[in-house]
Amino acid sequence: MSSLSPPVNRLITELSRLPGVGQRTAQRLAFHILRLPPEEALPLAEAIREVKEKVGQCEVCFNLAVGPRCRICEDERRDPSLICVVEEPSDILPIERTNEFNGRYHVLGGALSPIDGVDPEDIRIPELLERVAAGGVREVVVATNSTTTGEATALYIAEQMRERSPNVAVTRLASGLPVGADLEYADEITLGRALRARREL
Amino acid sequence: MDAVRVTGVALRNFRCYARAEARLAPGLTVVVGANGAGKSNLLEALYFGCTGRSSRTSSERELVRFGERVARVSVDVEAPDGGHRLEVGFEPGEAKVMRVDGAKVDSLARVDVRPLVSVFMPDRLDLVKGPPALRRAHLDRFVAALWPARGDTRQRYSRALAQRNALVARVRAGAASPSLLDTWDVELARAGIALMAVRGEALTSLSEPFSQLAAQLGLSGEARLGYRPRSRAATADELRAELRERREEDLARGFTTHGPHRDDLELAREGRPLRAYGSQGQQRAALLALLFAERELLAARGRPPLMLLDDVMSELDFPRRERLIELLRSGGQAVVAATEPEHVPGCGDPDVALLTVAEGAIAAREQVSA
Ligand SMILES: Nc1ncnc2c1ncn2[C@@H]1O[C@H](COP(=O)(O)OP(=O)(O)OP(=O)(O)O)[C@@H](O)[C@H]1O
Ligand SMILES: [Mg+2]
Ligand SMILES: [Zn+2]
Repeated sequence: MSSLSPPVNRLITELSRLPGVGQRTAQRLAFHILRLPPEEALPLAEAIREVKEKVGQCEVCFNLAVGPRCRICEDERRDPSLICVVEEPSDILPIERTNEFNGRYHVLGGALSPIDGVDPEDIRIPELLERVAAGGVREVVVATNSTTTGEATALYIAEQMRERSPNVAVTRLASGLPVGADLEYADEITLGRALRARREL
Repeated sequence: MDAVRVTGVALRNFRCYARAEARLAPGLTVVVGANGAGKSNLLEALYFGCTGRSSRTSSERELVRFGERVARVSVDVEAPDGGHRLEVGFEPGEAKVMRVDGAKVDSLARVDVRPLVSVFMPDRLDLVKGPPALRRAHLDRFVAALWPARGDTRQRYSRALAQRNALVARVRAGAASPSLLDTWDVELARAGIALMAVRGEALTSLSEPFSQLAAQLGLSGEARLGYRPRSRAATADELRAELRERREEDLARGFTTHGPHRDDLELAREGRPLRAYGSQGQQRAALLALLFAERELLAARGRPPLMLLDDVMSELDFPRRERLIELLRSGGQAVVAATEPEHVPGCGDPDVALLTVAEGAIAAREQVSA
């Protein structure tokens, strides 16, 4: 490693910070990038700069957004009385692909996890409760992952909603999702089925 | 035959073996050799090749032959869909390399064409006389082998327990609100009831074969296998209520004091736990009965385990040896190690494979020509 020049080392270090990328893969990627002509390598750097500069969070649902609101919140045809709660923005994609859901979303940005010190205030739970309490919502579908932390988060949301907004139905994606599964890895058919058969929490 | 069976094993720089091979019989294989000849090492190699782990040590560098770098074991199996080869290679400091038919896999645990393995050796008596944690872990592994779809029940509970314990510690330190425990009590209770249910179900089906087999193996007096759950709850809601009642105690002590992580299973003879009152021979018979009862249930689901039995024959009197061998030959595949062939009644029969180990070599009995 030390035989490489500092800029190359820096590239390897940055790449190895990416999830799922170890030292060895980082080296391979770095040497690949070094071999590329500038017109092929620079668009990658440019794309990274662009998302970091332009993409922020939707002020309503905390989905990714260019500008103050995301495309789903801006879409008038989407039912605002139905809110689907997910852990991460990436969890929205598989649900959208099923074409079964025409409501809006709420992105928590994580799940409750005492081990990691994540409390309700650390994810967007207070914002969710406020958003629902403001009215106009008929059902909240909790689509957190079916992992231990995802299930506990769903339970917590259901308890809070029962207290504060007892007239709003809180449902959970029906089983059909494999236990312990991340939403990201569920296929469209199972996810579609789970959406249609959601149950009262 | 719908079960998976081991046909052969090859060792390379594994323990005392530089290079050795052996073929197993479809039923019983007997390994004989003097003390220190390499019998236990061969059994360990079979376990290692089928599971990717050692049956004897957690320090795997011991497996590599002195002066060598890499230990390898390959196991040939016959499955319903034909032959397969499992390979495990280990070099200290490197990730273990496991292959099925040449393709790398992360773990052998979820490979269908691998045989389950059940081991008897003197260390395992700890299962009878040691602390409850060993018995819980054994039972949960058996549950996972018997019902693979419910294999993560224990993990799910452990994860919920770790979270609740972390929360108890945070509440205690004033870093989190006690009301958050309500949520984790529900999650823990759900996972806990599921775990108690699979454990109870497994023990209910094991208990009758256990009593019968214990009698068959010469354990005098009535032998029983029972579940000793910590909680009396029958539903998740009842378990949640029990957790709620003990919350103050949990907060005082800093961890979750109640639930299936404190269960036990009891092996008893004449109503008394063998753990405390059993003789060495009674404990051994009970452990064998448990392993055979498990084999019966696994066999009924098409997955009879390969049984590896080390250092058991010399400890038994002649009638008990005969009964054990009879049981071993009644179905499934087994490998038994013994210092003298005379310790294994019937080892001269043509359907039994006899392997002799000495000085790092494995020799098969010469076929007596007709
Ligand atoms: N990593 C290693 N490299 C070389 N030899 C080893 C290694 N590990 C263990 N041995 C040797 O293997 C020999 C055989 O051990 P093993 O436990 O298989 O004997 P055994 O036939 O089961 O004897 P016993 O009847 O006493 O149980 C021992 O002499 C031991 O020193
Ligand atoms: Mg030995
Ligand atoms: Zn939005």
